[in-house]
Amino acid sequence: MAKLKLALYWAGACGGCDVAVLDVNEKILDVANLADIVFWPIALDFKYHHVEAMPDKSIDVCLFNGCIRSSEQEHIAKMLRAKSKVLVSFGSCACFGGIPALANFTTRAEIMERVYIEAPSNENPNKTLPQTKVKVAEGEITLPELFENVLTLAQVVPVEYFVPGCPPTVDIILKVVNALATNSLPPVGAVIASDKTLCDECDRKKENKKITRIYRTQEIIPDSQKCLLEQGLLCMGPATRGGCGALCVKVNIPCRGCFGPPAGVADQGAKLVSSIASIYEAKDEKDIARMVNEVADPAGTFYRFGMSSSMLKRKRSQKR
Amino acid sequence: MKKVTIDPITRLEGHGKIEIFLNDTGDVANTYFQIPELRGFEKFCEGRPVEEMPRIVPRICGV
Repeated sequence: MAKLKLALYWAGACGGCDVAVLDVNEKILDVANLADIVFWPIALDFKYHHVEAMPDKSIDVCLFNGCIRSSEQEHIAKMLRAKSKVLVSFGSCACFGGIPALANFTTRAEIMERVYIEAPSNENPNKTLPQTKVKVAEGEITLPELFENVLTLAQVVPVEYFVPGCPPTVDIILKVVNALATNSLPPVGAVIASDKTLCDECDRKKENKKITRIYRTQEIIPDSQKCLLEQGLLCMGPATRGGCGALCVKVNIPCRGCFGPPAGVADQGAKLVSSIASIYEAKDEKDIARMVNEVADPAGTFYRFGMSSSMLKRKRSQKR
Repeated sequence: MKKVTIDPITRLEGHGKIEIFLNDTGDVANTYFQIPELRGFEKFCEGRPVEEMPRIVPRICGV
């Protein structure tokens, strides 16, 4: 079999997904036997013009991580879509917006103001903000346009597969590599993880206990054998896709929700709110109000990784 | 004036491009280093619980 042509790209991302690919350790040699890498900014020196020059559909697989937040990221997403036979939305940012999508609780103008004018490490008396075009003595220099919203990859171009995780685990990456090696890719549209919830693979004991208050992680040391949600910690397990091997809950940390909603769930945050509502024992209205106040940051907790792909998508404008 | 563009800068964490302007004799007249990416951690971390910070900000750079 001819070697596959593989591309990896990061849009609005931290590089953790790229490093996760290297976390497969010596198995990276299997990847090297299987595929030639034709584009991978973190590791290899290919430029955008090299990709532009490639014929359409000449890349067999592109693992694309990161959210789409700028005209450049959108342009590269469209370019890699055209050049790739299979485009994989790789990691939580590409799949759901990820941590950068917490920016959808604010606005582009507020971000610009904070980052370039207010930040204590800045000295910017003229309040200069980045411009898409600037005339300089030698000519013109350009920057991409920052979008108002953080978008997922699939909100910009069609995608064949989704690989969730912040970052995707080694087991899941190897699953993808093996599927490519044996030409046994799942049906288009598949999420390469479990279809069930994280609770399904968590071996903590559930006692169908009701809770009477919600704790922040630093307020209690939870029992390491019992369900974290039933101990009053906001574990995203019931609203999150399994497949990670329950990594966080195994070390006594409530699920963070990075695998996104499980199959059949449209909105991860709404699903968790409904899970909490079903186990919360409130005596009266006052009790309910108290519990709501016990959640330090409901929006940022329930939509920690998933604001872009949620039903809300962003914070609504106050003006009507 | 001739312009040499290096886009993207590779083998580092983050996004960058370099524009080099050459004068008529082919010497470097000026160079601009540009960061074409912004996520806005400075803003969206505001108002989040303090215990979230050690778990949100590692996503600034995961390399």
